[in-house]
Amino acid sequence: MSSTSQKHKDFVAEPMGEKSVMALAGIGEVLGRRLEEKGFDKAYVVLGQFLVLKKDEELFREWLKDTCGANTKQQGDCYSCLREWCDSFL
Amino acid sequence: MAQFHEDPALLTKEKLKSELLANNVPLPSADSKKDVYVQLYLKNLTVLNKKNTSAPAPDTFSSDEEMTAPLLSGRSRSGKKATRKTDRVRPVENDISGLTDEELKGQLMKYGVLSGPIVASTRKVYEKKLQQLLEQPPLESSLPEPETTIPEALTIKAGGNQNGNTHSAEEQYSDKEEEVGPVPEPVPVVSKPVRSRGKTPVTVRTSSRQRTKQQVEETATVTEETVDGGDILKEIFPNEPATPTGITVTCRKPIRGAAGRPVKPLSLWSEESLQQQNTYTVTKSSVTDVRSATPAARPRPRRWFAFWLKLLVFIALAASLYYAFQYVTTDQINACQLYVQDNVITPIVNYIRRETPAEGGDDK
Repeated sequence: MSSTSQKHKDFVAEPMGEKSVMALAGIGEVLGRRLEEKGFDKAYVVLGQFLVLKKDEELFREWLKDTCGANTKQQGDCYSCLREWCDSFL
Repeated sequence: MAQFHEDPALLTKEKLKSELLANNVPLPSADSKKDVYVQLYLKNLTVLNKKNTSAPAPDTFSSDEEMTAPLLSGRSRSGKKATRKTDRVRPVENDISGLTDEELKGQLMKYGVLSGPIVASTRKVYEKKLQQLLEQPPLESSLPEPETTIPEALTIKAGGNQNGNTHSAEEQYSDKEEEVGPVPEPVPVVSKPVRSRGKTPVTVRTSSRQRTKQQVEETATVTEETVDGGDILKEIFPNEPATPTGITVTCRKPIRGAAGRPVKPLSLWSEESLQQQNTYTVTKSSVTDVRSATPAARPRPRRWFAFWLKLLVFIALAASLYYAFQYVTTDQINACQLYVQDNVITPIVNYIRRETPAEGGDDK
């Protein structure tokens, strides 16, 4: 099992509230800006998309790739971050 | 005999170059943009495709060079035989963007994909998914070269979610959303795609051929998965021999002095233990030069016992001396001396007398 980054741990530790989309693991400045341009300006909006895709890994990865051009690692990080958050708080 | 793609923009510039060369088309200047190649390709493509339609070649699509545009290869195929049933179905499904949300959902249901709500943000993803699903059946049903399809299925299953590529193995995962990881569960992966493939009616052309292909795939994937598992194990435990289950057990060395075992090692283990002891002594002596070999060579519990024994004796001695100096009076000392004299000296003297009867006894 791969280890999680500090960003991941920080995000999963508490309710996301009004955190920016860049607080998500795997989403840095560049990807965050692209997401914001598409209208996903807050982490909870991306969460919304994740939930609408029924938390499906493959679909969410695909969506992330299409929307902001995330690579495989970034997709994986974001997916696992959101999934773990959902497991704890949803 | 290469297959001709209708959307050469999907091919790389190198590919286009090679295709053009293969058809004896003069290449543009080396620095031309891809568009130029694309245009040339299209020009030749249409010409050659028409030629193909007049003289159908069965091995046109045998060499599957490009996986990314199989849908379009399907189109060229359908162009050859206009009377095929799938030809009528395809134009409807090719226009995926023209489908309404409901229709899209319905199409996905046909392939057993339980899709979520098709909203503005999710539509594109589901359209892509449907497109991939449509590309799958033509690949499955064309079985002139089963070997080429099997390796790709293998790489799909082993590769998991690489690049977000979805193929038949992946599509089946979305049925059961609990099982996401392909690598840790090789057996369910293998069995499920095999079973669900049998369900879809479009794919089954000749059932016997399908089954053999599935069996080959199954065994190949199983062996590949076990090899993968074995590789991981080999990384973790490089010195252990390979076992079918991947579980190895090593005998624990018996603990000396426990459960009635002899404290000193038996001859069977003597070499091993001596070697260990020797190494232990070597390390010990290197650290502390004062220690002698014997006490260090003793096993640990024995050493502790000896240490405690020594300590006890020392304490007893010290206590007795203290008692002697504190409490005993001079009278007692004299009485003690007399007592010792009577009981110890005289027997010794008697013993000596007995040994040497000629000698006169010493009166002490």
